Amino acid sequence: MTPRVTLTGVTFTYPGGVRPAVRGLSMEVAAGEIVAVAGAAGAGASTLLLVATGLAPRLVGGSLAGERAIGARRSGIVFARPWTQLTGLCSTVRDEVAFGPAAAGRPLAEVAAAASRALHRLGIAHLAERDPAHLSGGELQRVVVAAALALEPELLALDDPAAELDPTAADALYALMPSLAADGAAVLLATPDVERAARVATRALVLEEGVIVADGRPGDVLPPTEVGALARAAGCPAPYPLDVPALLGRLTPDAGRRAHDTTDGPPAGSGPSTSGTAR
Amino acid sequence: MIGYVAGRSPLHRAHPYTTLSLAAALLFAAFAMTEPLTVWLLVLAGAALAATGGVLRPGARTALVVSLPVWILLFVLYGLLGAAPRAAVGPLQLSVPGIERALVLGGRVTAIVLGFLTALATTSPHRLVEAMTARGVSFSRTFLLASTLTVLPRLRERAARILEAQQCRGLRLGGSPLARLRALGPLALPLILGALAEVDEQVLALDVRGAAAGGRRTPLDPPPDSPPQRALRWGLLALVVAAYGWKFWRMRG
Repeated sequence: MTPRVTLTGVTFTYPGGVRPAVRGLSMEVAAGEIVAVAGAAGAGASTLLLVATGLAPRLVGGSLAGERAIGARRSGIVFARPWTQLTGLCSTVRDEVAFGPAAAGRPLAEVAAAASRALHRLGIAHLAERDPAHLSGGELQRVVVAAALALEPELLALDDPAAELDPTAADALYALMPSLAADGAAVLLATPDVERAARVATRALVLEEGVIVADGRPGDVLPPTEVGALARAAGCPAPYPLDVPALLGRLTPDAGRRAHDTTDGPPAGSGPSTSGTAR
Repeated sequence: MIGYVAGRSPLHRAHPYTTLSLAAALLFAAFAMTEPLTVWLLVLAGAALAATGGVLRPGARTALVVSLPVWILLFVLYGLLGAAPRAAVGPLQLSVPGIERALVLGGRVTAIVLGFLTALATTSPHRLVEAMTARGVSFSRTFLLASTLTVLPRLRERAARILEAQQCRGLRLGGSPLARLRALGPLALPLILGALAEVDEQVLALDVRGAAAGGRRTPLDPPPDSPPQRALRWGLLALVVAAYGWKFWRMRG
């Protein structure tokens, strides 16, 4: 598969930083992959996203060493705080979502279609005529994700994208990711929500003090959840299930499917949910 | 009232360039006028503009608050300390030419502030951006202008949130002027630092969404313009030019 971004021995230091925020990063993210990036606060997950999307050091400042090749022609990024990502110039959600395609100078019909697709994918078409300034944090976060999707990015970086969402909306957002990957996007997901990340990620990286210390299947490398610890204690073979549906699925496939149906809300997008797949 | 106030007045519905042209014409005309009577006619024009926009009462109140310190300063500088001849008004001996001068300068400030506030209250930043985009103005320029128009209401909103949070932690806002001044610290620091931090993230988000691409943006919903509005804008320009012509002709004479 085509690599959307390739980093080889990349080290990045913020302006005025005493030591690098990330060191010696070597990784590749291909089209169709969902790569979860986990690590404690300050481990460098957000910085990795900025580096991978080309925003650091171009806009952030600082210095970058090593080799970076960005194959994605269009990138999107979503941060945890949605209100900082609004243009502040749009009076409706539809215009806010359409901002990116319009900035690219695409014909109006195409812009409208891209915005409409993104709104429907996030399940927020009913908010289209609302003023973004009057939305709740959760609604706003979905608007911001829709705005990123309207760009039809080949590389989508999500920095704790469910921070403002309630559990149902968070499940729906994560359930959307496989369909984005199926469309050919590479998804880079930095999140402390290991359980949800493990459901959708095809690969996971673990960072410690700016260094990748593990890179592999989510069930193998992500920090154990309480369910995972229980499974390990109960003598389950690795990779350990990270959430209840996965644990039940391991024990009895039917129970796993039922648990998945009851724990997951209706998916916002058209994409299939991979929640509850046995690991 | 500082910032956009949603409404359906003729000024709200007008092309943003028309509303801004009216405010700009008021500003330039105010500097062209040298007589108290003509300057105060402009203040009335500013009030009429605010009434047309449906914001006369809040506009006049804010204009009064903003221009009051200027009026007090002018009264002291020109009215009390101005040149002879003087006239007795109660216990005060006021300078007659000084008061005339103060009326001209104060009237100018009031007319300009009223016009500016009205334009701010009736020009939707979104419609202004769309109008500028439709004319092919670069995003950086439209963003700069629209951000300038929205910065005060945004800061005021943020300041209110910070004040509420600080009051929950025991900050007292009442008391002596010194105590009030001390209360500024817990407000100003988070206000400025928070705004700077958010700007950083907004720059990244806007860049990824192509704001800095430099190409021509597609206008999504450009506000309609009309021949009468275009004629009005040209007429205002002609009026301002005529006012300055008259001013210089009189100065030469």
